[in-house]
Order: sequence, then C-alpha cells, then structure tokens
Amino acid sequence: MKSFIKFITCLLIIFLVGFTFVVTKYEKPILISSAGQSADVTLAGTLFKKIKVDVTVLPLAKKSDLNGVKTLVVVPGFSSKGLGAAGISREQEFDRIKDLIAAAKSKNMKIVMLHLGGVARRGNQSDDFNQMVANASDVMVVVKTGDTDQFFTNIANKRKVHIKVIDKIADAIPVMQELF
Amino acid sequence: MSLNHRFRAGLFLFIVLIICFISGKEFRRMTIPDKIYPSKEITKISELAQFNPNLKGTNGNTAVYYFDSGKPGGTLLLLGGTHPNEPAGFISAVLLVENLHISAGKIIVIPQACYSGFTCTDPLEGCPEFFTLKTKSGERNFRFGSRVSNPLDQWPDPLVYSHYPSGQELSGIETRNLNRSYPGRLNGSFTERVGYAIMQLIKNEKVDIAVDLHEAAPEVQIINAIICHEKGKDIAASAVLGLEFENLQYALEMSPQNFRGLSHREWGDSTAAYPFLMETSNPIQGRLRGKTSSDLVVSGNDPYYREAIKIGKFRITYLAEGEPIKLRVGRHIEGIKALLDAFAENFPEKKIVYGNIPAYQEILDKGVGFYLH
Repeated sequence: MKSFIKFITCLLIIFLVGFTFVVTKYEKPILISSAGQSADVTLAGTLFKKIKVDVTVLPLAKKSDLNGVKTLVVVPGFSSKGLGAAGISREQEFDRIKDLIAAAKSKNMKIVMLHLGGVARRGNQSDDFNQMVANASDVMVVVKTGDTDQFFTNIANKRKVHIKVIDKIADAIPVMQELF
Repeated sequence: MSLNHRFRAGLFLFIVLIICFISGKEFRRMTIPDKIYPSKEITKISELAQFNPNLKGTNGNTAVYYFDSGKPGGTLLLLGGTHPNEPAGFISAVLLVENLHISAGKIIVIPQACYSGFTCTDPLEGCPEFFTLKTKSGERNFRFGSRVSNPLDQWPDPLVYSHYPSGQELSGIETRNLNRSYPGRLNGSFTERVGYAIMQLIKNEKVDIAVDLHEAAPEVQIINAIICHEKGKDIAASAVLGLEFENLQYALEMSPQNFRGLSHREWGDSTAAYPFLMETSNPIQGRLRGKTSSDLVVSGNDPYYREAIKIGKFRITYLAEGEPIKLRVGRHIEGIKALLDAFAENFPEKKIVYGNIPAYQEILDKGVGFYLH
C-alpha cells in the first residue's frame, strides 16, 4: 500500500510539474536584457518578433527600467566586443546584472533565462554570468551545445526549476509560444 | 688563379644564374592574374581605379563586376579577397560572378579586393602559392595570397600603425591590412587608397547592403559568425535564424564601436549601407596546423586540429572530418542568401531578385569546382 501511495504521489508531482511548465504564462510587459553584452540579446528580440509578442530590449537595462515590467528575460553570454561597444568593464556589467536581478526579485518579478549562444557562450568568461542568471531564473531555455556538461541542468535540478534544452535557437520559438 | 679554380668559379656562377632564373620565373608567376569567367548575364566589368584614380596602373586596382537588372531593387556589394589568405571568401565571390543571374536590383562583386595581397604570401608561414580546384573542364589554379598588401607595393611598415582619422594605434603590419584601412584616404598609403576607393564605390553606387567575406583560424572566437554594425542587427539576427532553419549554426557578433578601420564599422558609420562580415573556419590559418599545403586549403583537414578536438582542452570550432573549401564556400553562399532574404523582409521595396546560385547542399554534394568554369 505504501509503495502504491508513493507511486501515486510521484505521478502527481510529475503531472503538476509538467502542467505548471506547460500552462505557466509569463506576464507582459516583458523586458529583455543581456548579461555579458553578447549579441544573443538581439536574437532573443528577433525570436519574440517571430512569435508576435511585444517586448522592450535594453541590453544595458538598469533597475529603474523595471518599472511596470512583469517579466524579466535575461540572455547571458560574455562578449568582449559587446562590452567594448557598451564602453563598460566586465566587473561593471557583473554589478549591473546583479542589481537588476536583485531589483526584479524584490518586485516578485518572474525571471526567464534564454541561453542561446551554445558553447560559444560558455567557459570562464561567460560562466559567472550564466551561473548568476541561472541561479535567479524561474525557467531556463538553453541551446543544447551550451549544456553538454549539464551545467544548466544541474543548477535547474538543484533549484527545482524548469529547464528546456533545445537543439538549436530556432527551436526556442515553440517553447516561447508556450511560455508567453 | 689556376685554370681549375676558374672553371669551378665559372661553374658555380652558372649554377647560381640558373637558380636565380628559375626562382625569378616562379616569383613572377605570382603576378599573373587569376582568370575569372563571368556569367553571361554580367552587365559591366569595371575597375576599382574609377573610384580613386591613384590606383591606376598599380596592384591596388582590381576588377569590379556588375550585375544590373535595370529594374528597381536594392544594391548589394560583395567583397571577396579582402584577406587573400582566406580563400573561401575569394572563391565564393568567383562562384557568384561565374553563375549569377539577376532580375531585380543590382549586385556588384569584387572577388580580389586586396589584389596586391594576391601577389605574395605571408613570410615564414610556409603557405602554398596556389591551390587547385577540379572543375568540369579540368583543374584550375587559384592564387593563395597574403593577409596584407605586398610589401613591394607599400614599404616600409611603421613600428606603430596609426589609423586615419581616429588615431587608433595598431601594430605596424596592420598598415597594409585593407580591413583596418577604412575609410582610407585619396592620397594616403597604398592600402588606404584601396580602402578609400571601396568607400567611394559604396557611396557612388548607393550600395544598400555590403558583405565582406572572410575566414579565420579555428581557434578564433568569431568563427562561423555574422558580424554586423548596430544598425543592421535586426537583419543579421533574422539571417541567423533563417540559417538555423537550414541547420546552419551562426553566431551573431556586434561590431565594436571603438575598433576602427574595419569594414563592418566604417562602412556602417560613413555610408548608408548595412555592412556585414562573415567568417568560416580555415585550419591553414591556425597555429596548431601541421603540413601547410595546397591540399590543406582545399580539404581543410588537419590531423593536429582533430587531435585538439579529441583532447578537448581548446575551445575551437572545427569539424572532426575537416572543414573543406566546399563547405566553407557553401556557408558563405548560404549566408549571403540569408542576409538578402532578411534585408528584403525589412526593405521589401529594395528586394534583390537573383538566381542560378547553388544551394549549400548542392555545393557540398558536387563540390565548389562543379560551379566554376
């Protein structure tokens, strides 16, 4: 009898988790920002255009930009070119995103992570940003080549948040249609 | 001096003369231009010197191929051979010139943008002077050149190259790098004059979209990337997604605003064109490469890069089966198509309608030589 109850409980949990993932719609208005200033933030904006959802893309968003926002989408990935173009250092970018996430959390805002750059946005320079965003997000969408070592999957499992690993960037479209 | 010594000295001099003759002939061979056989739909073949008369009669002058439909539409400028040691860019441009049909808008192609760089190779790199592609009508040789202009055309290099007009300082050799020369100067250094002519072409021909084709070593981070000026980021992002639907992965990189002299920066800042630069993975440029031969140019197959992948200690973009030129050209051709599609999405009135260009898979299946004359 005990094992039967355990079995039913497990089924219920799996069902609820799956159900939550499928039906959770992240509310608008949506703000997209970068963590590391890679151009993947532009790709994220294009993905939202494809699913016809209006978003504001501010690669250098500050906490004051969160006014009225319901969902914060963060696209992590380090780019030295991007930081150079923005005229900021890696440390300044790190502090900015830390403040932004803290402000979003204090407003009970939902945070969605889109890691689109695959292996190119992994490694020493990117992983600080990846970890910080992954540790704060309510759901992660990750291109498979960026998670071959289960970096994001392990964080998701540890934090018990949902992760959707996709084969390529274009596969994010149906996932985002479900989420938004 | 005894007769015996005189004979020996004479013989030695004779042998030296023969060696000089053979090596001189070999050296002169590098100045023989590559033959390009344009498609029947070509409307005009001009020269870069029309945009800077200072290039007339110099190795800075190069052929400019026009495909003008005479019908409304945008204008594309395509540059190959900015760096003549990056052959996929050059061959992609040749493939277009030899096959293109056009029915709306205009396409301008410069296959050997830095013509001077095609007349030499980089010192101490052991690079081949030519590589061979098999075409339907037999084998065809193409020049493999240097990353920068020939020092015979621009010498000496300063210790530090100061970019005009920004004053940005780079290492001295970059003074001969076309892709650090923009916007160039009418009466500047040899390479600045070439850069100036290309800028004038973009302005005078009212170019809407400009693509600069490159390659880089597998360990370079911008491999398989489209680099864009900020004004073209939506077009580039749309192209990257379009390419993903074709199962071709590209990274999107923004042109740094504070890195001057590059095509994707200066063309975008100083002209109305939307500039893009594309890179493919070319092991002959890499530091880990083994035997440096014309075979490596074509096959892109290097045992040391394969080993590097196996070891897994390097972050390199390299396929275990190699990165052959047909794959690299195929990526460039598909990338151009995706950029044109994305450009037309944003500016439908400037759609460029073209045809007779093979698809990526066709180039992979039949080889790039199949599409060359």
